Amino acid sequence: MRLRLFDFAAIAVAAAAVAAASVAAYAPGSGEPNAIVSGDEGQWIYPLSSDAELSVAGPLGITLVQVSDGAVRVLDSPCSNKTCIAAGSVSKPGQWIACLPNKVFVRVEGGTSDDGVDAATY
Amino acid sequence: MTASTRRPTDGTAGAAGSARAGSARAGSARAGYSRAGRGSDADLTALLGAFCFFLSAIEYMVPKPLPFMRLGIANLPILLATGILPLPWFLVLALVKVVGMSLISGSLFSYVAIFSLAGTMTAALVMLAARKAFGARITAVGVSVLGAVASNAVQIALAKALVFGDAARLVAPVFLGMGLATGLLLGLFAERFAAASRWYAVATGKSDG
Repeated sequence: MRLRLFDFAAIAVAAAAVAAASVAAYAPGSGEPNAIVSGDEGQWIYPLSSDAELSVAGPLGITLVQVSDGAVRVLDSPCSNKTCIAAGSVSKPGQWIACLPNKVFVRVEGGTSDDGVDAATY
Repeated sequence: MTASTRRPTDGTAGAAGSARAGSARAGSARAGYSRAGRGSDADLTALLGAFCFFLSAIEYMVPKPLPFMRLGIANLPILLATGILPLPWFLVLALVKVVGMSLISGSLFSYVAIFSLAGTMTAALVMLAARKAFGARITAVGVSVLGAVASNAVQIALAKALVFGDAARLVAPVFLGMGLATGLLLGLFAERFAAASRWYAVATGKSDG
C-alpha cells in the first residue's frame, strides 16, 4: 500500500492541530500549583499543598475529590465506567481528570507568582 | 454417510452455479455496482450497522486509561461505507452506529449521547466529503485521520460549550493526538481489508464476486 498526496496532507493537518492544542494547553505557569475542581454548581480552587476533601454534586450524584500529599484524585463517583477513579492522582500543571457523565473536571494549573510586583505607583 | 458427504459437494456446485448466474445478471444490469452481487443498499446498511453494534461492544470491553480515550473501531464500517453507500443510507448507518454505541455504553438517554451523535455525524460527513473531493488522491488512511480528528475537535468544542468551559483546552492535545493515532491505525487496517476482501470488491463494484 502506498500513501497518496492527500494522506500526507491529512496527517499534516492533524499533527498541526495537535501541536496548536498543546501550545494552548501547556502554557507555563509559575508559582505554587493549584487543584481546580469544577462541577455543575461552581468551581473550587485549593493549593495543591493543602489537604481537603470535597463533595461535588453532578447530574448523577456526588463525586468525591481529595487533595492531599501534593496531588489531587477522584475517590468516588456515581458514574458507570469509573474512568475518573481509575485515572489515579494528578500533580503536574496541565494534568487533569474528567468525569463526563457527572460533569466534574479536576485539573492542576500553575498558580500566579508571589514574588513579582503586581503594580507600582509614584 | 455417503449421502451426507455428497450433499455439501452438491450444495457447493449449486452455489457456484447461482453465483455465475448472478455475475451474468450483474454484468448486464451494472450501474456502478451489482445488486445481484451484494444485495440492496438496505441489506448492506443493516449488515454494516450490525458490525457497528459488534465493534461498539468490543470497544466497550477495552479498558480506558483516560476519559475520552476511544479506539474508534466502531467507525470502521462507516469508513468502509464511504466507497459504497449512497448518502441517505450512509447517514442511516451513522445513526445506527450512534444508537448502537450509546445502547451498549448505557448513555443513550443521557446528555453524553449528544457527544456521540455530534462526533459520529461529523466524522461520517468529513470522511464522505474527503473521499468525494480527493478521489484517488487519498486512501482510507487520510480519510480516517480527517474523520477522527474532526470528530474529536467537535466533541472538544461541545465539551467547552456544555460542560467544562475553558478547561476543555487541557483535554484537547490528548484527545486530538488520540484521534490522529487511532485514525491512522484504523485507516491502515481498512486499506488492508479493502485490498484483501472479496466481499468489499463486490460491494464497490470492482468484482462480480
